Amino acid sequence: MRKLIEFRNIVKSFDNQVVLKGINLNVYENEFVTLLGPSGCGKSTLLRILGGFLQQDEGTIIFDGQCIDDVPAYKREINTVFQRYALFPHLDVFDNIAFGLRIKKVAEDVIDQKVTRMLSLVNLEGYEHRNVTLLSGGQQQRVAIARALVNEPEVLLLDEPLGALDLKLRQEMQRELKRIQQEVGITFIYVTHDQEEALTMSDKIVVMRDGEIQQIGTPLEIYNEPANEYVAKFIGESNIIEGVMVEDYKVKFDDKIFDCEDFGFKENEPVDVLIRPEDIKIVGRTGALMKGEVKSVLFKGVHYEIIVETISGASKTVTMHILSEHDTYNAAENEKISANDFFVDLEDVNALDDFNLVARANAQAWDDEENNLSIASITHNIENKVGTYDCTFKTQKNTEITIKVHVVAPVYVEDAKKNIGISAFDFFVTADEVKESMAISTDLKTWASAEAWNLQDDSEIEITDVKFDFDTADIEEGSYEITFATQGREYKIETTTVHEEGDKVGLKFDRNDIHVMSKMVV
Amino acid sequence: MTYPYIVWLALFVVAPMLMIVFYAFTNAGNDMLVFKFTLENFTRFFQDPDFLRVLYTSLKIAFITTIICVLIGYPTAYVIAKQDENKQAVYILLLTLPMWINMLVRTYAWKGILMNFNISSEFKVFVGMVYNFLPYMIIQIYTSLAKMDKNLLDASYDLGANKMQTFLRVVLPLSIPGVISGITLVFLPAVSSFFIPKLLGGGDYVLIGNLIETYFITTGDWNFGSAISLIMAIIIIVSMYFTKKIDKRIGEE
Repeated sequence: MRKLIEFRNIVKSFDNQVVLKGINLNVYENEFVTLLGPSGCGKSTLLRILGGFLQQDEGTIIFDGQCIDDVPAYKREINTVFQRYALFPHLDVFDNIAFGLRIKKVAEDVIDQKVTRMLSLVNLEGYEHRNVTLLSGGQQQRVAIARALVNEPEVLLLDEPLGALDLKLRQEMQRELKRIQQEVGITFIYVTHDQEEALTMSDKIVVMRDGEIQQIGTPLEIYNEPANEYVAKFIGESNIIEGVMVEDYKVKFDDKIFDCEDFGFKENEPVDVLIRPEDIKIVGRTGALMKGEVKSVLFKGVHYEIIVETISGASKTVTMHILSEHDTYNAAENEKISANDFFVDLEDVNALDDFNLVARANAQAWDDEENNLSIASITHNIENKVGTYDCTFKTQKNTEITIKVHVVAPVYVEDAKKNIGISAFDFFVTADEVKESMAISTDLKTWASAEAWNLQDDSEIEITDVKFDFDTADIEEGSYEITFATQGREYKIETTTVHEEGDKVGLKFDRNDIHVMSKMVV
Repeated sequence: MTYPYIVWLALFVVAPMLMIVFYAFTNAGNDMLVFKFTLENFTRFFQDPDFLRVLYTSLKIAFITTIICVLIGYPTAYVIAKQDENKQAVYILLLTLPMWINMLVRTYAWKGILMNFNISSEFKVFVGMVYNFLPYMIIQIYTSLAKMDKNLLDASYDLGANKMQTFLRVVLPLSIPGVISGITLVFLPAVSSFFIPKLLGGGDYVLIGNLIETYFITTGDWNFGSAISLIMAIIIIVSMYFTKKIDKRIGEE
């Protein structure tokens, strides 16, 4: 194949922000090349530089053996299908398509022939004299393609041409574009952020990120052997697990060593391991490579997306004490006051000022018309050591309530292996407070002051799981266990057989479904 | 919800117009309360060559003013539309700044300036007219140029058109609606303007606006004044009809 375009170290910045950091890329004749990446990765900028609408700061573009850096857009043998089509609203379909030919002063009868041929190529026969502004998105798209192709360019640039179309039309146009490309046999350079589009149409995919090329390869190569975590995530649903390459053909993750087909890494090199959701099979627990529990099942139309947890996260179980109503009623003044007992960490005792006491005890007072009253005085004998202390809240008119404050030793669990610390406290609430809760998991986390953190850098880790075994609607006095847990190791699996949440299952995959990738350099 | 508008329209638009029509087709009778329907006001206008000459001059002045405004306004608007966005705002502000001052005051200022030059009164009237109406033309054309999708220019270059070809085949046709509404906004007030010719042209320069003013205010002949107003209104309606038609034809092309 003949090399048609060569980008040599293209650098471009806008307002001191570098959007292209030295792009080197070869495009060959008759290739369908897709520049794939999220918005802002520089893919459109690269396309606009090739089209001649932007000038690169550094680097050279060689087109068909010639440097075209100083060739203006209108002299390049390249045509573009613009993102929003950019059809001329004052011209009808025919005149839009004929625009380029008329500029070149082609004879009218030749123009007639060529435009008619283009219209049939894009399946728009009979639309010659329609007003372009009244066409549907898909039809405008076809006109834009015909308008570019009629000039018989060597390269057609397409800048997210299907972005504005709905899903069904987009899929139709994908097939259509591929057919047109094969029929006219020219190079297409296609820009998109849609990985499915890229995989469907391309001969070659160029994955870009932050102005740099991450990987160049065929769709199959990109899908099966992504160069790194970024490409793997961008190109499809995947499970990416941190692992260690023990030696060639042996990778360790989830505390087990697996056989794989990858080699050439350093001994004990930290790596990312990719297993595609469709490559994992759910099997019985005997003979499985991993064992786990089904966490969620989502019906996705053709298949089920099942999340299986193989290793649970760090967890901490606390007791919730449900108390009866414990208002105190002061008949003389017609006032009511309420407050809850609570637990407090020894480390936090010093922080217990009046404001905190009211908040932790949820102390409230009302008059006979249910208006809130302020708590006027608080007396307590809380000391900075483990024990149970009294705390009394009083209103202006001496309506009072006394609660117990339990000072306890720090109660967090450290999971050194997972590198997670998690803490939560037993707590007291009334049945009404539970019943009135709008978001029970969130409230339980608040009441128990549940939190988890990374032991190394103290960063917060989300508590994703709140397990309890009661019905909030008719909870009664008593003690209940609540378990807070962080997310464990989860695998996403695509399967056509249905499983129930909570099923204990085994997982299996082939050695060639394990793809080992180098860690990304950030 | 629409009632207040209907009342407003009836009171301030329909009623005065009906009164003009009524006056134009009547003559004051002997008695204050008796009116005589007649076409005399119109025959009087069209039979007198002096009146026809005034009509002709008015149309000519308005026409030439409009042409000059297009010729100056288009390049100005084009240059403004080519600037960065914040610069555009500044230029448009500068352009409209004089309009914050009363048109009459500005015209008096021009009278003072032009007094020092030995030029024909017709030329002075042109200066005043173009000065007063040019901003309307520029803003209309600028708006149509500024809202144009910049991708269309790229598309044109992409298809092999150079800058000149792009201007002639894309920019100009797409800005025609702006030019047309600019023409409407300049021609209509220009044809009926009366104080600009009065102040700058002196007494010897009579346009149809001055004529109407004279018959209403000096002579007190409201019937004939109304008839001239009605003739003017018809001319304006007809010319608007034709500009709309041209606009539509260009839109379809």
